[in-house]
Amino acid sequence: MLRTVTRSTAKYTAIFRTQLLNSLAYPADLFSRSLTMVLFMWIFLNLWRVTYNAVGSEIEGLSLGETMWYLMVAETIVLSRPRLSRNVADAVKEGSIAYLLNKPYHFLLYQASIAFGDSLLRMVANALAGGLVVWWTVGPPPSPVGLPFVLVAMTLAWLIDFCINALIGLLAFLVEDVSAFEWIYSKFVLVLGGVLIPLDFFPAWLKSFALALPFAASTYGPARLFVDASFVRFLDLLWKQGFWLLVLGGALAYFYHRTEKWLSINGG
Amino acid sequence: MKRELTFLLALWKANLLAAMEYRASFISQVIGMMLNNAFYFVFWWVFFDRFEQIRGWELKDMFLMFGVVAAAFGAGVFLFGNALLLADVIAGGRLDYYLSLPRPVLIHTLASRSQASGMGDFLYGVLSFLIAGQYSLDSIARFVIGVVFATTVFISFFVLVQSLAFWTGNASMLAQQAQNAIITFAIYPITLFDGTAKFLLFTVVPAAFIGAIPAEFIRAFTWGNLVLLVGAASGFLTLSVFVFHRGLRRYESGSAIQVQL
Repeated sequence: MLRTVTRSTAKYTAIFRTQLLNSLAYPADLFSRSLTMVLFMWIFLNLWRVTYNAVGSEIEGLSLGETMWYLMVAETIVLSRPRLSRNVADAVKEGSIAYLLNKPYHFLLYQASIAFGDSLLRMVANALAGGLVVWWTVGPPPSPVGLPFVLVAMTLAWLIDFCINALIGLLAFLVEDVSAFEWIYSKFVLVLGGVLIPLDFFPAWLKSFALALPFAASTYGPARLFVDASFVRFLDLLWKQGFWLLVLGGALAYFYHRTEKWLSINGG
Repeated sequence: MKRELTFLLALWKANLLAAMEYRASFISQVIGMMLNNAFYFVFWWVFFDRFEQIRGWELKDMFLMFGVVAAAFGAGVFLFGNALLLADVIAGGRLDYYLSLPRPVLIHTLASRSQASGMGDFLYGVLSFLIAGQYSLDSIARFVIGVVFATTVFISFFVLVQSLAFWTGNASMLAQQAQNAIITFAIYPITLFDGTAKFLLFTVVPAAFIGAIPAEFIRAFTWGNLVLLVGAASGFLTLSVFVFHRGLRRYESGSAIQVQL
């Protein structure tokens, strides 16, 4: 059994490594995507500098520097995600999913390996680009002591996003076009995930509502942990991410199993 | 001129009929985009609920500006959908089809595709304008004028950037970044930016002529803002047509067989 597990892991590691090397083959593409990060950081800096000048040195316990570093991490997480739902939806609509199902790998794990290979370099490039802008304008980041916790949180956040995106992609079995769901999900993440404005600045009732949703666990949580790295905060985030991974992962496994069965019954 | 207008109307009719063939998809894209914009705007509602105003801009000003930007972008990509893909058309050698027909190449290329979600952007823009509370006839007239000029600047800017493909071979990534830049800058209050940044927003990335200036014009008529809008729209339009046709001289056929349905 150990040999089977090792073989399986090696399979998906090879797919991940191939995609990573593929991303490295186009450095200009990587660089140009990081320009978007620079653009957003610069706009946020202008917005929040003016706001802090008008309001004071702290808003809900966050200084301008902390707010900018928070936004940098949140934007890095969001801008590094691949368009997984589009890939899955296209495979369903074109019918190529039936072709992929008889391959010696699990369709979803294959998509996850490819997506992770795509995301990793993008995340590094975005973090470097955004980090340079923020460091140059507002000063150094918070203490790096909490960085290992943040990296764990970002990995779990990525998995939550993967589950949601895969579910949206599999909706292509039911609806012709999943674009509308993609757009709405991305806006939920931007607003209710605290990417455009920290959830700490929300009205109390909306903040409570947003914190109860998976979007906060996938963006607000890791970004907030970066500027305020405490073990208590990390544990709190960990159980929330664990909960949502169980719920969304379970939903994904169930829905995928149903669609796989349906495809097999209909002759692929 | 009349012939070209008739041709343009025929193209738009064909695009609309094609979209209506997949009615459910069309309607879902329109409604989806409206919801997309509405959810995004929640950010500004939260911001102004907390901070009330920012350098003189309030929530109702954001409704107005967002209305103009959304309506202009929506109208632009619904009527001239290929404006966002012109670089791919050029790099892929797909201009051959348009060059072989007795119609103006640029207009034909731009209008031969329609982006259904643009209708959602346009309708949301109109809704946002109405929520801003400008119900008088002259406000509505200024909104229409503002949207027309903003659409002209939008499409002209896209054509300008996408035409770089004639020289660079592949300008898709640069065009995408430029598109992100102009839309992002257009939906933030211009008062946030000073000095060089503000200069850039009136020149290299003309976001000011898509958001802030039309919004000010709609709020209150001034000859200054009208002159700015007319000048920017005609200037960018002239420049984009010039650059496209200069680039067209360098165009090489891709020799691909293209099926146009």
